[in-house]
Amino acid sequence: MTIDASFPPGAVPRKRRQTAAKWETGIGHALMIFVSLLCVFPIYWMIVTSLRSESEIFSTSLWPNAADLENYRYALSAVPMVRMLVNTFIISIAVTVLQILTGILAGYAFSRWKFRGSAFIYGAVALTWLVPLQVVMIPNYLLVARLGMIDTLGALILPHFASAFAILLLVQAMRSFPTEVIEAARMDGAGHAEILWQVVVPNLRGTIASLAILVFISTWNEYFWPLLLSRSPENSVVQIGLQMFITAEGTQWGPLMAASTMASLPILLIYLLLQRQVIASFMKSGLR
Amino acid sequence: MKTPILAAAVALAATAVSAQNMPEEVTEPVTITFYNYNLSSAGNGADATKKMIAEFEEANPNIKVEGVPVSAQNLVTRVQADIVAGQSVDLSQMVFSSLDFAAQNLGAQALEDIVPAEEMAEHFEGMVPNGLALGKLDGKTYGLAYTFSTPVLFYNADIFREAGLDPENPPKTWAEIKEMGLQIKEKTGKLPLATGIFGPSALDWLMQGVIRSNGGAVINDDRTQMTFAEPEAVEAIEMLRDLAKNGVMQNLDLTSQMDTMAAGNVAMYLQTSALQGFLVNSAEGNFELRASTMPSFGDKPVRPNNSGSALVIHSTDPVKQRAAWELMKFLTSKHGYTIITSEIGYLPLRLDIVDDPEYLGNWVKEHPLVQPNLDQLSVLEPWVPMPGPNYLQIQVSMMDALEEATFGNNDDVQGILSAAQEQAQNLIP
Repeated sequence: MTIDASFPPGAVPRKRRQTAAKWETGIGHALMIFVSLLCVFPIYWMIVTSLRSESEIFSTSLWPNAADLENYRYALSAVPMVRMLVNTFIISIAVTVLQILTGILAGYAFSRWKFRGSAFIYGAVALTWLVPLQVVMIPNYLLVARLGMIDTLGALILPHFASAFAILLLVQAMRSFPTEVIEAARMDGAGHAEILWQVVVPNLRGTIASLAILVFISTWNEYFWPLLLSRSPENSVVQIGLQMFITAEGTQWGPLMAASTMASLPILLIYLLLQRQVIASFMKSGLR
Repeated sequence: MKTPILAAAVALAATAVSAQNMPEEVTEPVTITFYNYNLSSAGNGADATKKMIAEFEEANPNIKVEGVPVSAQNLVTRVQADIVAGQSVDLSQMVFSSLDFAAQNLGAQALEDIVPAEEMAEHFEGMVPNGLALGKLDGKTYGLAYTFSTPVLFYNADIFREAGLDPENPPKTWAEIKEMGLQIKEKTGKLPLATGIFGPSALDWLMQGVIRSNGGAVINDDRTQMTFAEPEAVEAIEMLRDLAKNGVMQNLDLTSQMDTMAAGNVAMYLQTSALQGFLVNSAEGNFELRASTMPSFGDKPVRPNNSGSALVIHSTDPVKQRAAWELMKFLTSKHGYTIITSEIGYLPLRLDIVDDPEYLGNWVKEHPLVQPNLDQLSVLEPWVPMPGPNYLQIQVSMMDALEEATFGNNDDVQGILSAAQEQAQNLIP
């Protein structure tokens, strides 16, 4: 057996390893680029379709022959899109604030006190998460009707005043909050309100921000409850507006894509501006 | 179910009291609600409906119409929920397949019970008897045909030419559909036939017409016995299965079929004439769109039935009934049907306006595609609603079985349909 002294042992394998690692990284990147393109393409196609004329709507070319904003003009005139976008924004913000508020209060109560029946109530709250919206839609509708709130934005917010998801997430976060800090605050003479708002909540900013993003997105995308409640387009939300372009006499693809583009802009903005936070919120709470 | 049944019972009881008590005219201001699915979408349907309501309100200053937009799929649920919630449901645009449920559970009023007979006869004068029969159940008119259409065979004349076929001679029978379909498939590679027969939102209207055209029916005349496993129905499904097996037709989603036709990639498309406007717009500058009547089974007569909706009065208040009846008369008048046909694309219930230049005369000349649709009016038969509170379950289980028998791997069409028929029969009250 001879050894080639000019070629130090181990050098070849290391180089090979580096080459292999480069290849692996390259393949990994190529795969990720491919998957990213797959994810982005529907959004691109939506925007491109929204710029096509009616006779070109089924064209498979990647770019419209003559891009124009006619579909946007029509979508804005046929359906009160701006009003619907404002309504959806108001409702999403209101539901987000309310769910976080009720979630914080309930979370603090469940995590700080062991009162009689607390485990049962906590279990009952958790179980409501398993009840599909469709089951409670009609009873909720009757309640809203008896309150005289049909065709109001309030009725779209009311059933979402509190949610099991927000409560469970905040209870878990508060239970893992160090009790020493709370005890220290108590020693300093702080009451429960002070402890909650000045000690606990500022330290849970990350969790609360994640929750806010998730609640906002799911409220923005909600369809069934507004569908049942909607009595006039002016008091409805943008998801109902989109459905208005799908008719028994054919789908108006151009205006539908224009309206969809407008409807997805706020969510796309959230993703662009709060990218890290959005990913963290999905990681923390599990994909919804 | 208890509460809706209670509500319906209350409504029916009130009907008995209010029968024939409708005042001759509305003298005080009154507001009626009109649950309408055209209003729930953007475009021609909503625009024409708003226009008609505005014209009606102008002509009847004491009556205000509050249009409630609800999609066709959710109309029954919404009417039911609103009746229970104590909301005023006065007039609705009810899909024909829900008519029995509306009569039994949603307080639908038979016109014979609330409208003076001579007034009814006067308004019905000039209406197509076949069209009037569409809204009748057990001899009474629960719904007055409003926006309705027939199945039309749209076809792409360019694909016909490309396949070496004559677009002047479209197929008249299912056998010709197969023959031409195979030629189209071989020569052009395009999809020969798309239909609106199958799919979750297709309901059973077109299927009823196909089976009926072979001398069968999905349910018997008094709606007590399911009959979609009878020999004529089985034969019709075996014909569809043969088309599917030969690649003339594919089991595509309903919207995909519509869009593939609109994109110019389907040669023939059997679907509601209500899509005419959409297809004309899509074809413009892309391909030549033509239309023919529904295909027959050999020499047997074609027996198409309608799709679409009827106007149904739910109100038990005599004044609101009068207001609703006045609106109903306006919408189904010569003027109303001129708007419905020319601006939305549905059939006129009054044939005398078709040639009248004051109404549809000029429009029909300018839109020859509507002719096959008009030709089928004289042979139109009702889309029969399934009976009882489980009507949707019956419809869905039947359509699932018919789809499986057409496109599934099992060649035993008779076996599949017999088993499904037995199951559906158990759901009939």
